[in-house]
Amino acid sequence: MATVNNQTIKAPKKSGLKGHERQKRFWAAVFLAPWVIGFLMFFLVPFIRSLYFSFFTLEPTPEGIITTFTGFENYIYALNEHVIGNTSFRVELINTTMDALINIPVLLIFSLFIAVMLNMKFRGRALVRAIFFIPVILNSAAVTSALGGGEAVAQLLEEQGIEQIFDLEFYLVQAGLMPWLITFIVGLIDRIYAILSLAGVPILLFLASIQSVPKHLYEAAKIEGATGYETFWLITLPNVSPHIVTVVVYALVDTFMTSPVSMIISEELGNSNRWGESAAMAWVYVSTVIFILLLLAVFAKAFKIGGSHYED
Amino acid sequence: MKIKSLYGSVRRSLRHTKDDIQDYMNDPATQLRWKKRVGEIFIKVMRSILLFGLCFVILFPIIQQISMALRAPVDANNPAVVWIPENWSLMNIKIAVVVLDYWHSLVNTAKLSFISMILQLFSTALAGYAFSRLRFKGSNILFFFVIITIVTPPQALSLAQYLYFRNINMIGKETSIYLMSGLGMGIRSGIFIYIFRQFFRGLPKELEESAQLDGASVFRTFWNIMLPNARGAIVTVALFAFVWQWNDAYYVSIFDVSTEEFPLLTMQLINAAEGMYQALFYTGGLDLVGQNVWENPLFLALISNVSALLMMLPLLIMYLFVQKQFVESIERTGIVG
Repeated sequence: MATVNNQTIKAPKKSGLKGHERQKRFWAAVFLAPWVIGFLMFFLVPFIRSLYFSFFTLEPTPEGIITTFTGFENYIYALNEHVIGNTSFRVELINTTMDALINIPVLLIFSLFIAVMLNMKFRGRALVRAIFFIPVILNSAAVTSALGGGEAVAQLLEEQGIEQIFDLEFYLVQAGLMPWLITFIVGLIDRIYAILSLAGVPILLFLASIQSVPKHLYEAAKIEGATGYETFWLITLPNVSPHIVTVVVYALVDTFMTSPVSMIISEELGNSNRWGESAAMAWVYVSTVIFILLLLAVFAKAFKIGGSHYED
Repeated sequence: MKIKSLYGSVRRSLRHTKDDIQDYMNDPATQLRWKKRVGEIFIKVMRSILLFGLCFVILFPIIQQISMALRAPVDANNPAVVWIPENWSLMNIKIAVVVLDYWHSLVNTAKLSFISMILQLFSTALAGYAFSRLRFKGSNILFFFVIITIVTPPQALSLAQYLYFRNINMIGKETSIYLMSGLGMGIRSGIFIYIFRQFFRGLPKELEESAQLDGASVFRTFWNIMLPNARGAIVTVALFAFVWQWNDAYYVSIFDVSTEEFPLLTMQLINAAEGMYQALFYTGGLDLVGQNVWENPLFLALISNVSALLMMLPLLIMYLFVQKQFVESIERTGIVG
């Protein structure tokens, strides 16, 4: 609609329009310049270089890095030979992929459910919303590591046969609850907290997309006497579905980024003799994520998820 | 006589009411309404229980940590102390402050996060606007590359980035982080560009057109009209950019930004947690406590917990101030367009 208006208004002064178009193109170049430079310098070049590295053995020397071509050896090492502790790159990669495939649907349903609830009108809504985004803010690898007490401390505690007492379990034992109930509650709360800290951004995205559904649809539904259940399936869900794709991409990337797989790659990266191997691992990782995304894209297309009612 | 008639009238009216109630109850419309109301109350109760429970799960660790931070070191494994410390003390906090080199690292972390937030805001808002409104041939392809940057893990790039920064002699300096943020390649910049693009697309086109008819240039339209209207997206992106930079331990460790002259909270915290004994020993934290407490391993865990709390506390306080705007910004605008 808007574009049609635009043309009818501006049609008489064509030269002005052309000048304006040219100005627009100029400013587009100016606005995009920082990102394009950054993209070339810090993304495209490193991306291709790391692909190149993954086929070489790298040896850092004072004069520079000596590279020796080794073909697919690094990839073979990453997938077959790598062992760390009682796990390996391959095992962790498979585990993370399976976890992601199982957890993401759960995460989707959970965050959509919470978003719908946070969108309802009730007393104290603002407070509850503010509380729900706290995990997003406190989600930090450093804090997690410190709360684990660090490896050294954990070991000391184990040696002395003391379990960490700074947890809920301790308080529940103090309260005199039955052991099986305590195990159940603690396990449940741990899992809920893990899901909540992952779900923060998805809830935010869903909440925002529900807010952007035209209000008149809900009003019409109410006049027609639709129940809350029907409103959800017929109005909320179809309107939110374009954003399901966004949430899935975010959740997938986030799951992989916080998984043991990326920890292993970082560790290998810290060892300067293993740069080639770590580059190969990173590429295996990227290809896995992109493969899953393509799979999901095909799936979404087949089931027509993600298309909008109003656009196109 | 009078009383009797009064009694009769009351009875009659009572019977009327009873009939009325019976009629009312037997009416199918009423039954439906009641069913609906019971359903509503049921939903309300379930919702309150669920939300309350989840809020509890979120707040519990924070309250617990604060309670732990305020107890005296001798109470570290005193089973009698559950919620309220027996001996109040700021000793744990004092020790954690020493171990983390807290004030120094706090200032550095705040400075790094703030500057990088401003730079990220600029680069991503500009790119987001260009992708949404200043479209040209090929802008879709460029935007596809933005998606690729979101998907690619930093590990795939780190080595080459590290070597690059080493070449231009920027390892161990915070400038490396600023350079990345300013060029739209900071922490999750791709997502910020995405958010801005969606947001600008959601603003009415008429806003822009009227400004252009009045003869405003593209830049003025952006600066004076579009940006002030994009407050919601700005608050959201600013909050995330600040927080993610604050919590970041990955880039900071790869580029070796946290040095002795420029300590950062995350790295200090990780190092302290990994070697609490050394941390206490070398920073002189040991002098603050009695030896008997020191032999208690739980005390070490307690200190690293308090250190974690000290790192999160400024963020929590900041969030208290901006949360209203933050929640409202989601409410009013819908960042997803």
